[in-house]
Amino acid sequence: MNGKWLWPWLCALLSGPLWAAETLYLYNWNNYISDATIARFEAQCACRVVQDYYSDNEEMLAKIAAGASGYDLIVPTGNAVESLIRSQQLRPIDKARLPNLKHIKPAFLDTPFDPGNRYSVPYAYTLTLIGYNTAKVRELDLPTDTWALIFEPRFLKRIKGRVTVLDSQRELMAAAMKYLGHSINDTDEAKWKQARDLILRAKPFWAAFNASSYIKELTVGNIWVAHGYSNDMFQANQDAQRAGRPFGIGYGIPKEGAVLALDSMVLHKTGRHPDLAHRFMDFMLEGVNSAELTNLIGSGNPNQAAIAHIHPEIADNRAVFPDAVTLKRLEMMRDLDRKSRRVLNRIWTEIKLR
Amino acid sequence: MSATDRDHRATGRSTDQATRWAVLSPPTLFLLAFFLAPALIMVLASFQYPGEFGGLAPLTDQGDGKEYGLTLENLAFFFSDWLFAEIFARSFSVAAASTLICLILAYPVAWLIAQSPKRHRDLLVLLVILPFASNFLIRVYAWMIILGPQAALARTINGLLATLGLEPVSLLFSPIAVLVGMVYVHLPFMILPLYTNLEKHDPVLLDAAQDLGANAWQRFWRVTWPLSLPGVFSGAALVFIPVLGMFAIPDLLGGTRDMLIGNLIKDQFLGVRDWPFGAALSIMLTLAVLSLAGLAAWLSKPRRRAT
Repeated sequence: MNGKWLWPWLCALLSGPLWAAETLYLYNWNNYISDATIARFEAQCACRVVQDYYSDNEEMLAKIAAGASGYDLIVPTGNAVESLIRSQQLRPIDKARLPNLKHIKPAFLDTPFDPGNRYSVPYAYTLTLIGYNTAKVRELDLPTDTWALIFEPRFLKRIKGRVTVLDSQRELMAAAMKYLGHSINDTDEAKWKQARDLILRAKPFWAAFNASSYIKELTVGNIWVAHGYSNDMFQANQDAQRAGRPFGIGYGIPKEGAVLALDSMVLHKTGRHPDLAHRFMDFMLEGVNSAELTNLIGSGNPNQAAIAHIHPEIADNRAVFPDAVTLKRLEMMRDLDRKSRRVLNRIWTEIKLR
Repeated sequence: MSATDRDHRATGRSTDQATRWAVLSPPTLFLLAFFLAPALIMVLASFQYPGEFGGLAPLTDQGDGKEYGLTLENLAFFFSDWLFAEIFARSFSVAAASTLICLILAYPVAWLIAQSPKRHRDLLVLLVILPFASNFLIRVYAWMIILGPQAALARTINGLLATLGLEPVSLLFSPIAVLVGMVYVHLPFMILPLYTNLEKHDPVLLDAAQDLGANAWQRFWRVTWPLSLPGVFSGAALVFIPVLGMFAIPDLLGGTRDMLIGNLIKDQFLGVRDWPFGAALSIMLTLAVLSLAGLAAWLSKPRRRAT
């Protein structure tokens, strides 16, 4: 829409002679690959990697829908993969050229978005969970393994005004639905209204709907409990440690279950280098390279071969690598049809206003 | 507009005509391409069906059994619930409050700059616009720190409240924080038009009023204030309208009840991918602002004739 499709070309023009080498155009999340990994791939393939970034699946989808072209690889979350497949934006992958695909754990293959993995290769995952100030939670004797912490007034009254929840219709509803024992993909309006009532009862105790600054607020100690993403909690904890705070940021998967967001590599149909893109996919499926991302941002890793290369404090974190029982309680979000989107939209507006 | 009026009075020599076209066509084309055309697309979008994965459903039948064409569904959805009207009402009151506070704060500042010696004025105006040198989001983030619970401000206020035996309050993530942010960001837009207006006032008028026995208050209320009304109106418009559409400040500084119309519209495009409803909301907002501006113009006219 704003002519951003020009960027890959501009970058290519500005950053080196055009005749230099083949260039892979990667459309990726912000900070979602280590510089070292890129450098190693560039050396190995004698090519160049140009990245363009998004911070939101919707942003990426909007740009693709508006006709952005030239990207070889995109790394969308499951429901966005589904949108891309169904709007015929993707090129099927050739599994014969991905010998390393065998490293991916079976739990992350053959997802409802892309049965048989015809279009997508798992890259990394994030969990939506609860992060907390370890010192405060101990001091106030609060449970950290249940959504009750952010929904039950009996706990919330001890941390009034010190809680933020994600400013996202789907994520917050998913947490409430899980707490109520429903599937996050249930579109029954009566259950949604039940979730709405739960949220409205808890809302007076929350400080804000926050999707952008809760990392910082946790780190400085303004907020003690936050509903957010596992990567962000990892960063908040690192920041708190680096700043020498007297507390850490802990995070755990609520026992009722949570949202698992699996990001996958897909080939955009307008990409001009499917060859190179396959080589990149296989490269990223190698344990060492895949582990590098997890070590950088604390993301979940679906790659069995990567575990050996991941720092033990991350590899042993049950909130990043859940045990088999917890894994079964995690759910991936499906896209809603437009009628359900509108029903939810009205419920959400009501939640925001009341 | 006034420029074209003046041009109409100019003699119609051909060189003048050519110059006029040369001067006027770029801005006219710009407005057509980047204002009128998008606005018309928005109107059209507000009557379309939402696409299955966001965006818009096609206008013509694609033969795939999916929805196409035009519908009143989006407007019907808007009017189906008081909820949306309530958000409009809330946004308009926040915008009105921000405008009023800006006016009260900006008037003395603009007046002082206009009264100061000529050689200082440029410097003072520069100071007013200096905050624009840094990005507005960064300045809002700065307010997050200033209003944060661990900052001196919140501690002082809550210390005072504690001695009075009252519950501590949260400054950040509150309607107050939203108002502070709105006023802070938009204050220069009120000061500048007021200053350009007040600077042109002839001091002789005030001397005359004094000679005729008017006291300080009367000199302000009967001379300066009526003369400054054009500045007040343009300042008010420059604050009121952007505040109405602002979504970043409620997002960053607001609490759990501070959704404004800008946030709702943004959500439609970026959150729920319901472009037609977002477009319908934008159209309703534009209509509301236009009718308000019309009302203000209508109200201000007879009064000016009377005085």
